[in-house]
Amino acid sequence: MNVNKSRMSERRALLLRPSSRAVTLSKSRGMKESSSGSRHTHATTRSQTQSVVDLSSRRRFSLTAASKVLEKKQLESEPELRVFDEEGHDVTPRPLLQADPGAAQARSCRFYMEEVSAAPGSVSEQTAASGSLTVPFSRSVLGSSRISSQSTIESVNEEIEETFSRRDVIITVPDVQVKRDTGDKHVTEDMLKDIIDVFVCETDTISLLDQPCTAVSADADDAAAVMDRNKRYSEVCRNRMGSDKFLERSVQTLSGALKNKHVQSDAVITVDAAAAVTAWDMYDSLNASDREEAEPSSDAETSKCPDSAVDGSRGVDRSASMVSMASTASASSSLKDVDVCSSVKTESDLQLIMQSDRFHHSLLVMERSIMGNTFQPLLAAYRQLPVVADQQPGTMELKEDEEDTDSRPSPALQHLWAFSCELTRGRRVSCMAWNKKNQDILAVGYGELDSTGVEPGLICCWSLKNPTWPERVVHCHRAVTALDFSAHCPGQLAVGMSDGTIAVYNVQNLQNQESGVISSSECPNKHSGPVWQLRWTQQELSFTGEDKQEVLVSASADGRISRWFVFNNGLDCIDLMKLQKVNNVKKKTGGKKTESVLSPLTPALCFDFHPTDTGLYLAGTWDGLVHKCSCSNTQQVLETFRKHFCPVTCVSWCPLSPDVFLSCSSDWTIQLWQQDQLRPVISFTSAQRAVCDVQWSPRWAAVFGAVNEGQLEIWDLNWSTLDPIIVQPAAPGGTMTSLLFTPQSHCVLVGDGQGRVTVYLVENLNVGGGDQVRGGTRVDHGSGLRLDDTKPQAPLHLVFQVDVLRDIVSSAASSQVAHHIW
Amino acid sequence: MAEVEETLKRIQSQKGVQGVIIVNSEGIPIKTTLDNSSTVQYAGLIHQLVMKARSTVRDIDPQNDLTFLRVRSKKNEIMIAPDKDYFLIVIQNPSD
Repeated sequence: MNVNKSRMSERRALLLRPSSRAVTLSKSRGMKESSSGSRHTHATTRSQTQSVVDLSSRRRFSLTAASKVLEKKQLESEPELRVFDEEGHDVTPRPLLQADPGAAQARSCRFYMEEVSAAPGSVSEQTAASGSLTVPFSRSVLGSSRISSQSTIESVNEEIEETFSRRDVIITVPDVQVKRDTGDKHVTEDMLKDIIDVFVCETDTISLLDQPCTAVSADADDAAAVMDRNKRYSEVCRNRMGSDKFLERSVQTLSGALKNKHVQSDAVITVDAAAAVTAWDMYDSLNASDREEAEPSSDAETSKCPDSAVDGSRGVDRSASMVSMASTASASSSLKDVDVCSSVKTESDLQLIMQSDRFHHSLLVMERSIMGNTFQPLLAAYRQLPVVADQQPGTMELKEDEEDTDSRPSPALQHLWAFSCELTRGRRVSCMAWNKKNQDILAVGYGELDSTGVEPGLICCWSLKNPTWPERVVHCHRAVTALDFSAHCPGQLAVGMSDGTIAVYNVQNLQNQESGVISSSECPNKHSGPVWQLRWTQQELSFTGEDKQEVLVSASADGRISRWFVFNNGLDCIDLMKLQKVNNVKKKTGGKKTESVLSPLTPALCFDFHPTDTGLYLAGTWDGLVHKCSCSNTQQVLETFRKHFCPVTCVSWCPLSPDVFLSCSSDWTIQLWQQDQLRPVISFTSAQRAVCDVQWSPRWAAVFGAVNEGQLEIWDLNWSTLDPIIVQPAAPGGTMTSLLFTPQSHCVLVGDGQGRVTVYLVENLNVGGGDQVRGGTRVDHGSGLRLDDTKPQAPLHLVFQVDVLRDIVSSAASSQVAHHIW
Repeated sequence: MAEVEETLKRIQSQKGVQGVIIVNSEGIPIKTTLDNSSTVQYAGLIHQLVMKARSTVRDIDPQNDLTFLRVRSKKNEIMIAPDKDYFLIVIQNPSD
């Protein structure tokens, strides 16, 4: 605007005209092309009015000339108007602003008019004087037919205002329109991507104010002239008083009338807010802004400034609101009493929350914490942690076992807890297996023994962290008779059922189980009798013995031991062995051998793979025979161990001593064998009941456990081979059916016929070390500590016990041999 | 959904559990087994405690977050599972 003013001052004669012409020009342009109504406010109208009137009052001569010119020009009806001054110079005004048409143009015009109208001169006084002039002006300006109705002038002001208002309308709005049409190009995407060169250069120096110095140095060249002039001027001033050349005259400047103006605005609402900036607050804001493009979440922060008033962090807001809510909680508790659980919003909240996965997880963790609290001493005993009693102030009980050094308490089983729930009540536990990866997970299969039954079986995966409810429950269509976890894929559980079906479940995600179960039900080779034992075992595929793969092997009542693999979404098998009925080598009189007519195969009840030589396994049969077989030979057994005359219910290799194995049978006996001897080395009998299950302890080489229907027996060969060291009778009326040792703890699990799996802690079992008095002969263990270089470094006590076992076995064997010889 | 209900019922019937409260994100208890005044008191107080605990954990390491909070006292233990949308509060007296 200052620029405009300076230009105006320079070319006064011209500029005013162009300005007025700018108004009229635009107006004329507008007249030709405009069509819209008035949208302009009255205030601007008035200002326009004022300014135009001012112009007209000041430049009368130029106006008339201009009007003449205009008349001429308007008749031409050209969009482009050329203006000439008196001398005929082309003074067509260039538009002041070219870049920003429309509103900016109007605004600049308006501002310019304001500037001009700021010059002194009230409207009202000048109006009368210029009334005559405005008339021709208006007439000339409004020469178009549109304002033809304004021919008669009733009231100058009104008319002027009216016309000017209309003109104003025509000026500003169509002005806007015109400019907008020409200036509005469609900006396409391509245009945006174009690289536009922008040249930035300096304009010439615009001097806004040049006030030359009024002081001249005394040494300057024209100092003399200046000083002369100064002297003359001072003389004139002195002579002024009495001379006739000067006349006093006073002039009065009228000060403009003051006008009061009131402005009303809305009160500025201020809100006080405070926030505490925390490290995580800043971290959240930073991350939220980063994540906004990827995932516009509803909870994203809206501002990065942590202490901004309204858009503060949600946490802060919540905390602030919660603090306020908490402080008023007591006050408004009466309110809440009524509305705590009954408002609609909270109901929907509850439903939403209860369905979310996170809530499920929270419940799981909570339940385990509660269980942890409830079972804390028992679980601590299980894991061999020292049990810490809650310290009560005032009763300082220092529990010191002083009798430890004096007398050894006798070995006993401590009942810890029992895995049981309503689902399992009344069902018989048929098999149990630990998970190979997570030692806290136990899979238990439930199913009745009678094969005629078609009642469904149950599998429960229990976790040590919650003994009251299983983590996973799977209902099977038949009674479960065998199960085993895979070591290669720890989530896979292979289940054998009483109709011969084998299914592999993935216990990690049981939700989509219907499609995830791999089953052998469609396999043509499936077992026709109950699957009595299942094992995942490492098998060598190639002859070099390097390539090991885990395979599933099953033994079933149809006499086959098969190896299973996944085929066509189901399981298919290869027979490893068909157990033929082996006839007793009895010399008949007729020399005829008795042959069975029903089936040449005898049911296989159990098998066990050798711990180190994976191609070798033992199989126990219905006939009471234990066969040693090899995976590479499917036709013949390697050896047969005969002793039992009733079905062999379990065979088990000793995990710590490789050549020794146990077998137990329904003929009330347990036999200890050595691999290279066809007669058992030691026999154990204690109760007159069928022994269902036997297992070596994984921690003590000379200890094993056995379950017959009425009791659990723990045998320690170190202590005695005639009697078990610990006997735990079953609950009255109940039967024990299966047995499982825990690999990393001194506990043993016993499953019974009522659906309970009881956990017992074996305590005070002294094995290894010290002098052991055994059956009359003193065994010297002084030289027992032999470290075998080829074996991996086993704990000393284990090596020690293995040697103990070997000693026992060898001594027993030798005594037997002696007996035989005898 | 039924599983969730069952789990809640099991928790409520465990040995020594005195009360279970579920509080939504605004601090309003939406499900409770205690009486109203206790519920409101617990909800308000525990909300503040959890905010403070969470702020503490995250101040030390902003990438960390609070997952579970247990307050053991002479008479009982309060276990809180906090989350963005809710709090699950269980009060248990383990020696019952």
